[in-house]
Amino acid sequence: MTSYSFFLSYIPFIAEGALWTICLVGGGIGLGFIIGIPVALGQVYGGRTLRYVIEPYLWFFRGVPLLVQLFLFYWGLLPSIGFKLDPLETSILVLGLRSGAYQSQIFRSAMESVEKGQFLAAMSIGMSRGQAMLYIILPQALRISIPGWANEYAIMLKDSAICFSLGVMEILTRARYTAIATGMALLPYLFAGIFFILLTNLGTGILNMAYKRLRIPGSIGV
Amino acid sequence: MLEVENIYKSYGNVKALNGVTFSLEKGETKVIAGPSGAGKSTLLKCINLLIKPDRGRIFLEGEEITSPNTNISKVRQRIGFVFQEFNLFNHLTVLGNVMIGLTKVKNMPKEEALRRAKEALEMVHIEEDLWDRYPSQISGGEKQRTAIARALAMDPVLMLYDEPTSALDPNLAAEVLQVIKELSRSGMTSLIVTHEMSFALEVADEMLFMFDGRIVHAASPVELLSNPKHELASRFLRLGGGNGFLG
Repeated sequence: MTSYSFFLSYIPFIAEGALWTICLVGGGIGLGFIIGIPVALGQVYGGRTLRYVIEPYLWFFRGVPLLVQLFLFYWGLLPSIGFKLDPLETSILVLGLRSGAYQSQIFRSAMESVEKGQFLAAMSIGMSRGQAMLYIILPQALRISIPGWANEYAIMLKDSAICFSLGVMEILTRARYTAIATGMALLPYLFAGIFFILLTNLGTGILNMAYKRLRIPGSIGV
Repeated sequence: MLEVENIYKSYGNVKALNGVTFSLEKGETKVIAGPSGAGKSTLLKCINLLIKPDRGRIFLEGEEITSPNTNISKVRQRIGFVFQEFNLFNHLTVLGNVMIGLTKVKNMPKEEALRRAKEALEMVHIEEDLWDRYPSQISGGEKQRTAIARALAMDPVLMLYDEPTSALDPNLAAEVLQVIKELSRSGMTSLIVTHEMSFALEVADEMLFMFDGRIVHAASPVELLSNPKHELASRFLRLGGGNGFLG
């Protein structure tokens, strides 16, 4: 068996890592979305107390390197409060908390870009603040957020490779194992790179399509 | 039908409203004129409770709406408000803009809301081929007429217009003024802030002149034209409203 065909036999192994990567990114983006929307609402409409809670959160998750956050949560924080999560779960939690901080800022600027007058108009026909938010502001803000969201996806996808440091069986971890097993470096890492490119373009492609389809007719943009 | 009693509103040291009192009978139309900063917009927004006055009371059909246990949403449904900048909901079609208050606020079944919305759009002369367009696909005049229909659909007892044509070219303003005039003539109780002098004289039962947060002069158009003794009023007539009036 030549070393090339030996390597080829590892491709499904690396490819399976794509599922783990999708799991990391899907979980991270999903959790980030669930966190990001209320954080953005709190920042735009909340009182001072709420802002005191939100500020340190943003400050920490946007200010500390992902690798440090992963180690801190996996080796430090979670064990110290007696909480046991496996590497994949910890990674999704950290990616989600971090993404929530970034996504909240995407939503926040999107919400602020919907004219305040529309909110007043909604109130003037008798809507409550909650209804105005739900039926008028959010449907527009979510659409405006899609390009920012595509960006966040592309960034998180590549950041997720850092989770190899906890031994999550994603693409890079498997490429590394393959490199060790085959004694080759170029091909395994090249393939890892190709998988990341494919996943990036697939995801941003889908989001761009959604953006075009959901775009409000006549508005500025693509 | 509307009684405004001694309304005060300050922003820091700035007194936006400094004791405003007036009333409006059912079917009546009054126009509020005055330089910018006189408190005209603030007054209108106090009446539909978008701004909470510091002091004073407002009654709508005999019921005090400034009392703390007022159902604000119910009051706002009875008062149509038309904004200078239209403030249409950009993600909804013309029809969607008019229907959403009916379906979400009044919880009307869809077919009934649709029928009611169509009636309102016909009242403001928005033709059927525009109903599926989005706000960015129609003209300014069409936007403002859609905004009027959105307010009318809620079946209000009173319409408030806050400089409804200030953001429009004169030719587009004319179609909006025409609609407001028709509604007023058909008996809709209306309170209009405008700089359009000839329109004001034509449509108003009484003109209220505001300055520094007070109504400084009130007169019917006939009285004004025959005897414009108040300085503000005569300046309004001389300069033809609009920007000249602001100087």
